[in-house]
Amino acid sequence: MREPLLASADFDPAEDAGARDGAARSERRRFVLLDDTGFDEVPAKYRRFYRRWRGPGDVLAENEVLCPVCRVVIRSARELRPGDRVYCMPCMSRLEVVRGEAGRLEAIVRY
Amino acid sequence: MLDARTAYSIQYWLESCPQGYLLHTEFGHERGAREPGFVLENPVVREEAIGTTVQLVVGERAALAASSGLINAAPDAASKAFLATQTLDEARHVEIFTQRLFDLGVKRDELESTIAHHANPHLVRFAEILLEKVDKKDFVAGVVGQNIVLEGLAFSTFEMMQAANRDTNPKFARTLSGTIADERRHVGFGENRIGSLLREQPGKKPEIERMQKDMAYHMLATLADRFRGQSAAMQEARRAIEEQASHGGPTPRSHVWHGTDLSKAEPREMEAVLAETVLKEFKTRLARIGLDYQSPERP
Amino acid sequence: MTLEAGELHERDHEGFLSEVHSFEFWFQSVEGYLHGHPHGVSPSTPFPELAPDRRAALVATLSTYCVGELTALEGASGMIGFAPNRATKIFLATQVADEARHLEVLLHRLAELGVEDAEAGFEARANRHLMAFRERLLAYVVEKDWLAALFAQNVILEAMEFAAFQTHLRTADARTAELLGGVLKDERRHIGFGENALGRHLASHPDDRRRLREVRQSLEPLVFATFEDAALQVGLPAAERPEIARLYLDSVARLGLGT
Ligand SMILES: [Fe+2]
Ligand SMILES: [Fe+2]
Ligand SMILES: [Fe+2]
Ligand SMILES: [Fe+2]
Ligand SMILES: [Zn+2]
Repeated sequence: MREPLLASADFDPAEDAGARDGAARSERRRFVLLDDTGFDEVPAKYRRFYRRWRGPGDVLAENEVLCPVCRVVIRSARELRPGDRVYCMPCMSRLEVVRGEAGRLEAIVRY
Repeated sequence: MLDARTAYSIQYWLESCPQGYLLHTEFGHERGAREPGFVLENPVVREEAIGTTVQLVVGERAALAASSGLINAAPDAASKAFLATQTLDEARHVEIFTQRLFDLGVKRDELESTIAHHANPHLVRFAEILLEKVDKKDFVAGVVGQNIVLEGLAFSTFEMMQAANRDTNPKFARTLSGTIADERRHVGFGENRIGSLLREQPGKKPEIERMQKDMAYHMLATLADRFRGQSAAMQEARRAIEEQASHGGPTPRSHVWHGTDLSKAEPREMEAVLAETVLKEFKTRLARIGLDYQSPERP
Repeated sequence: MTLEAGELHERDHEGFLSEVHSFEFWFQSVEGYLHGHPHGVSPSTPFPELAPDRRAALVATLSTYCVGELTALEGASGMIGFAPNRATKIFLATQVADEARHLEVLLHRLAELGVEDAEAGFEARANRHLMAFRERLLAYVVEKDWLAALFAQNVILEAMEFAAFQTHLRTADARTAELLGGVLKDERRHIGFGENALGRHLASHPDDRRRLREVRQSLEPLVFATFEDAALQVGLPAAERPEIARLYLDSVARLGLGT
């Protein structure tokens, strides 16, 4: 269930507080978040930022990361990179995106 | 007819409150509603609004502490469930009145100092008397103190304020009408649940009556302080409302509440009508649950 | 206080916390999944026929859940009185209503299963290790020991419930599964709140870890014994049993409370 990709010409990663050195060099992909992912645990206006994790066979898109605390998929309107900060509303956590051992993007809690 | 298990259930509360009269509101009022200009722009009126709202926050904080503290003392699951909904109602009241302080321009880091500055010492004492009972896990005294005395005071005060603000400050009036709807459930629980418990424990009556007398004294003292001290501010508010009306703002109609026209009455008259209404309510409610109302000394 | 949805991940932490710890947030969140679900179940969900032994096991399991929920209700309400600030008090008030709802929907399901006066009997039918845990947690509440109570209730108890419900959900009948699904959505908030609130505290008071490790060590035997019994009851294969405690162990490790 990959979102259509939208390359954005006007997005400047240098303005982005979460970006780090190397990551900031290339342009990020922008994503259109559809309004309804069927995730109903947060206020309606925030639902598009989350979706349910469908288990081991599920694949994360480049703008998605799994919350380690409550195992909900967090989505962003842009491609995620190490150093980015995201919020998990269903469990109220602040998270930082990191490169995990397997090379995949993961999130760790920043209390 | 609703039986107690249904009426005190979370399900009933969900359908009547969040899915009922709070639907499409934000902090208890219409989305996007604002405090009117005459409150925000006139420093005297604004300060008075802050002072009044602080008393509401103090009262609601006491209700939050009391209702949550009473859950563990409650003798049955239906009472626990009801008090759980009340806990959440009271937390909501704390939140919306605190939000009103922010809307009135109180800065976030000045919240506690603003509350400490304006909180009426008699109201603080009133709350302490109640919380002493809660701390001792005295369920019957705690519920009388909270759901009959504290709620009775809140209920009439909110009603009067709601009537007085209906035309000139619809945002605040709407916030109040939601809290009135909540308090209606709370006073109802107090009467119905405690009536039967008191019949089983008649020995508790003298102690509870003493608590009621003390609480009533501090309540009257609070009202006296508030109304007598705000005469000038009230005149200023009326002047500001008229000025705003002459520029096309809403015109206050007369609102007669228990025989007193709130748009014209002197502070002393307002104090008298509120105190009388609350005490009369106490008397009838206490009588219904089999307690004798004790007249406090007049502060 | 209300965040603009468009910039969710760019908000400052404080603004985010003040929103998620509010009544408003809770109210709009539960609205999404509770509307049209009286007692946690959609009215159109069929009533399953259960074989007698399966029904008996379900009654025992739901009774244990009732004790867990009653404990959470008593724990969370008691903690409001000594919670450190307004936002925390308001969050706990929303949790109190959630826990009371959980107890209510479970009792309702027991009544559907034909248990007469479900309320009077559930404590007798419940797991004894969980009853012992309850006593310990409520003792922390009586002592107004914020850290220990928060850890025991919102990390240990919540993780235990979360794992149990999630596992049970996979094998449960449709009505029970739907009800547990809704309960899980609430527990997600509670579990997240506990871990984050403790994590924030420990970041500035690292020495408190020592005390929490002691709390952990004293409660853990009860937790694992409860897990073990619950796994047996819902018929979980032995190979999957370690899974059921993982959520809890992960959370403890993230907080730096692992052994
Ligand atoms: Fe209230
Ligand atoms: Fe109330
Ligand atoms: Fe629960
Ligand atoms: Fe919970
Ligand atoms: Zn999460």
